[in-house]
Amino acid sequence: MTQRHSAALGRICVIGLGNVLLGDDGFGPLVVERFRCEYNYDATVEVLDLGSPGLDLAPYLHGKDLVLIADAVHSNDTPGTLCFYSQTALLDRKALLHLTAHDPGVGQCLAQLKLAGHAPSEVFILGVVPESVALGSGISASVSAAVPAAVQSIATLLCDYGAPCKRRIVQEKPNLWWRSSLPGETCRADFMIKQGIDHKIAQDQRQFLFWIAREMQG
Amino acid sequence: MARVSIDPVTRIEGHLRIDVEVDAGAVQKAWACCTMWRGIETILKGRDAREGWVFAQRFCGVCTTVHAMASVRAVEDALQLEIPANAQYIRNLILIAHALHDHIVHFYHLSALDWVDVTAIPMADPARAASIADGISAWPGNSHHELEAVQNKVKGLVASGQLGIFSHGYWGHPAMRLSPEMNLLLFAHYLQALDFQRKSNQVVGILGGKTPHIQNLAVGGVMNAINLNSLATMNMDRLEMLKSLLQDLIPFVQQAYFVDACLLAGSYPEWFDYGRGVANYLAVPDLPLDARATQFDLPGGIIMNGDLRSIRPVVDWHDQAIRGAVAEDVTHAWYQGKGALKPWQGKTDPDYTDFQDEGKYSWVKAPRYDGKPMQVGPLSNILVGYASAHPLTRKWTDAALDRISSLHGSRVAVDRLQSTMGRYVARAIRSAMLSDMAIKHCQLLTDNILRGNAATYNPPEFPQHEVAGVGMHEAPRGTLSHWVVIDKGVFSNYQAVVPTTWNASPRDEKGIPGPYETSLLGNPVADPSKPLEVLRTVHSYDPCMACACHTLDATGREIAQVKVL
Repeated sequence: MTQRHSAALGRICVIGLGNVLLGDDGFGPLVVERFRCEYNYDATVEVLDLGSPGLDLAPYLHGKDLVLIADAVHSNDTPGTLCFYSQTALLDRKALLHLTAHDPGVGQCLAQLKLAGHAPSEVFILGVVPESVALGSGISASVSAAVPAAVQSIATLLCDYGAPCKRRIVQEKPNLWWRSSLPGETCRADFMIKQGIDHKIAQDQRQFLFWIAREMQG
Repeated sequence: MARVSIDPVTRIEGHLRIDVEVDAGAVQKAWACCTMWRGIETILKGRDAREGWVFAQRFCGVCTTVHAMASVRAVEDALQLEIPANAQYIRNLILIAHALHDHIVHFYHLSALDWVDVTAIPMADPARAASIADGISAWPGNSHHELEAVQNKVKGLVASGQLGIFSHGYWGHPAMRLSPEMNLLLFAHYLQALDFQRKSNQVVGILGGKTPHIQNLAVGGVMNAINLNSLATMNMDRLEMLKSLLQDLIPFVQQAYFVDACLLAGSYPEWFDYGRGVANYLAVPDLPLDARATQFDLPGGIIMNGDLRSIRPVVDWHDQAIRGAVAEDVTHAWYQGKGALKPWQGKTDPDYTDFQDEGKYSWVKAPRYDGKPMQVGPLSNILVGYASAHPLTRKWTDAALDRISSLHGSRVAVDRLQSTMGRYVARAIRSAMLSDMAIKHCQLLTDNILRGNAATYNPPEFPQHEVAGVGMHEAPRGTLSHWVVIDKGVFSNYQAVVPTTWNASPRDEKGIPGPYETSLLGNPVADPSKPLEVLRTVHSYDPCMACACHTLDATGREIAQVKVL
């Protein structure tokens, strides 16, 4: 695969879609968070949990070389089955054939960006067939079993596109805050507030330097 | 007579079903049905009140920020906790940027195609379109070349025969009446709007640390560190960057969006005659100017029966009438029981029965103020501001009415805004106002920091007894309130009364329908199999049912089903 603007910051976007409070709908956010913690990758890759943004997805697809979206998808396959779809599959479908729960947003954003000349060059959907999307912050056993393979396939796809990533020996602990405890277990709020300002400075700084670098390069 | 069932209503956020009975070319009866379970707030019960906002901002995938904000305000209200002025300004800037983003997306990407016929664009004369635009706006994106380029893209799309997302439009419908040039102009801005959607998103990102789920809130303020001598924190460079992003947004809002909305209104004046609906309006004050939230930049108030002189100002969030008079009725909603409960005592126990015309038919509860349905949203905002002689509201409303009147050829008065078209115009007026406010609040923050104030957070303390609070926010779609009961720092009840619940409300115990339902009565429908006119009125509210996203049906049904009765 040809490498384009290989040095460009954030030219590749790995996006998790879905509502973490609705069972298996939280597959996307879970998978990208696990990927972020288990792999090393360079600054060409941005990893984002975007929830279910509808049309607000567009800014994150704008001008990218490669977008990989992890999401729950519809299919007659058994729950937990993983599947890949390309951009053509998304755009060619009639608007009513919803591939994923968030497809009206994905499809419309892609079509708009294409007309405006800012569509991403390549888009892939990494889907899982959900077992249950009922209210609750955990995912089912069948979907859970598919997570390691999903995380690994993100890495494989990025390597295919010239963005090498390597599995870390020392992995970060994933921040799965939505599974945070109910009373009786330890509460995270104290920790959050204590760490808040330090964390905020670090995050602000990172995001800010990232933007500056991107602006200068553009 | 024909029964038309539009399911799902497209180009909205989330899933909505609208049923209407059409006779003699007009709607006689209407039902609004939210097809999704909306009891997501039950997940908050038993959680630590300090981190409720982190969960609350996942209620909806689109309006994340507004739920986070209402949640922290609710807990602060329960604790009677002040937050530093810097925190107010930072929150305000986030809210303004979010609202601008939301309104731009609504006008161009969610509703313009009810009025703009994409398939007429190839017939336009780009030079003529550019000269029309030149006469009404200084917007630089209206050049002949720019418009020609957009036209060529659309020509390519139409020639390919694959309209993609545009293939479901009601193209060529008799109710589409813009000239090819105006269609071209508005569609060019539809594409340009994508760039401004990004810029407002960046403002939220810089202040919130991350979008779409901001990370900088805390009960008691914000976590943004301020230190003018540090590269890593909020400093002058960062403030300048914010200001320049906001300044980039203003011309698009004031010279493209605002002008386009007036153009649309002037071209479709008959839509000031339809869709008035429930003429009781509710807006709460927002954009607090001081730590204690006693002064606000956006006024609140209540107007009953469409009479602007009847306004009762809501001066702050302590308004006892609102706290006492809001209740949610479940008689026609898929929840157990019937009658109304106040939110602090509210229950969310589902009772699904299938769609029953005379029984339960929606997942949305029916909020009532003093037993009456209320309309919320930018129109309420503007009418309340206009009735209370708020200078910025008057300035932009009068500017809009002047423009529309001159296009229309006769005077359009402020009362005419109580209509389907009025809701589109009010949203554009509100956006123009907010873009003025953006610069003001950026300056307020800068000045306050330069005076040596760096505080952004007051730590909360939870009493050992039960406390209750309500967090109010005038969100893009209208009045949002989160009602919380906290016992020893943990939520024992949590109810969100969201703007779309007010507007999409089903009938109540007395059989009184909600704003969507009422405003559809008398709405024209030229062809029941293409209910474009129904969509115009429904879209005028900017429905957002996405407070809980759910997987969809993959079988691909027809959008509109018509049954002859």
